[in-house]
Amino acid sequence: MVEMLSYDFMQRAFLAGIIIATLASISGTFVVLKRYSMISETLAHSALVGVAVGLVAGYNPLWIAVLVALFSAWLIEYLRSNFTIYSDAVLAIMLSGSLALAVIIVSLGGSFNNSLMSYLFGSILSVSYEDVITIFVFGFIALAILLTFSKEFYFIAYDEEIAKVSGIKVKLLNFLLVSVVAIIIALSIRIVGTLLIGALMVIPTVSALQYKFGFFKTTILALIFALISVVLGMSISYHFSLPSGATIVLSVLVIFIFSLIINKKS
Amino acid sequence: MNFKLPIFDVKNLSFTVNGINILSNVSLQIFNSQYIAIIGPNGGGKTTLVRLLLGLEKPSSGNIKLYGKKISQFKEWYKIGYVPQRAAHVDANFPATVLDIVKMGRTAQRKVLSSMSTRDEKLVVESMEQMDITHLKDKMVGTLSGGQRQRVMIARALASEPEVLILDEPNTGVDVASQNRFYSLLRKLNKERKITIIFITHDIGVIADDIARLFTVNQKVITCNNPKQALSCDEMSDLYGIEAHLIHNHKHGH
Repeated sequence: MVEMLSYDFMQRAFLAGIIIATLASISGTFVVLKRYSMISETLAHSALVGVAVGLVAGYNPLWIAVLVALFSAWLIEYLRSNFTIYSDAVLAIMLSGSLALAVIIVSLGGSFNNSLMSYLFGSILSVSYEDVITIFVFGFIALAILLTFSKEFYFIAYDEEIAKVSGIKVKLLNFLLVSVVAIIIALSIRIVGTLLIGALMVIPTVSALQYKFGFFKTTILALIFALISVVLGMSISYHFSLPSGATIVLSVLVIFIFSLIINKKS
Repeated sequence: MNFKLPIFDVKNLSFTVNGINILSNVSLQIFNSQYIAIIGPNGGGKTTLVRLLLGLEKPSSGNIKLYGKKISQFKEWYKIGYVPQRAAHVDANFPATVLDIVKMGRTAQRKVLSSMSTRDEKLVVESMEQMDITHLKDKMVGTLSGGQRQRVMIARALASEPEVLILDEPNTGVDVASQNRFYSLLRKLNKERKITIIFITHDIGVIADDIARLFTVNQKVITCNNPKQALSCDEMSDLYGIEAHLIHNHKHGH
């Protein structure tokens, strides 16, 4: 552990990982309770379009990923509220559409290589100093929004119509929540990768829900699970040279299975 | 008392879905501290009427005013407490204690980033006491019985200090003893706190003693201002589609 932390790249990876685990699990609680779990997968694939553009055009892929994910989140909310399409169908269409677009951009630009692999599955080696700053700045904004409106998000997740009739600005807050989720997803792809970030957002909350606590304890438990998985996953990734997204997701899966077993209905 | 501004003022309201008239040409007014029952057969449009009143559905034609304002301009939603029909069927896995749910009643009125004020706390505690659920406050809502959940939902609505309480068949799946207790509570809220009660039910016999006005909804709405005579009204039994029974001077639960 000490040796691992003596490397600059690992310090950066851990710092970024801890911020991401915090954001993903807190936003994940609202996402799961609203039955929005699939939105994280879709936004991750949209973020990949941003990564592709960044790689080909030579800009910082993380910044462009944040912008594209935000745009995609707004488009999803717009389609959902203004057209009669099933929500999950909107997500499926956007998911495959984004992936197709990303693959074409990357292929045309000739960057179909290892660097893309690291964005798909995460890599602790790839976190630059600039990335840490980006994650920190955007992460701070996202966390501030989540904490500021947590009681409203919770109410909306419980029952959207009752919240609306109580005078909560449901439409605006839904829009805000998907925007925050988009930012968090885009920030996470360095460490967890596009194909695996959905799991870090959803599984800690689903595991925590097995313990049947109230809202506050459930959120804290999800946060603890996410932090454990990220630290454990990154350590395994370091020692065995495996993609960090995969080791993080497998760690959180172990927690999930454990939670399921000890809370099994008797 | 008609010089007073009605809480709900509905004019020529119609609601059509895919060419089918759910409600046609409904006009009604609801005034402060009235006790109103909305009855009618299933599929007759009771819930739709309430959803329109709350702005959850948009009318096909006609207009609705709340406290003299158009629904789109109405801002004081905390004055209206709404307990929908599905409230009793909470998702058993939703992470909420009784206290978590009742606190939601204060959410819309709390300032951004503020914690619960002493007044918020007081209203939450009082609402729980009123509904006799204080001893359940740390229990998960998913583990409660139907009658207990119903009281939690109403406590949440009461915590926002509503002037109007709208309940959509809250007694679905609740045992008779709890129902009777529940009706005496509604009576109390109406008499002592002057809360306007709007109550959707198909079980009119039970509350006939208390209600001041009755709206019978079956595509059209018929208002009866004296419910004890109302059900002798031929019009109404026609509208209901079955012969309506009302037990006069029916005493219950106490």
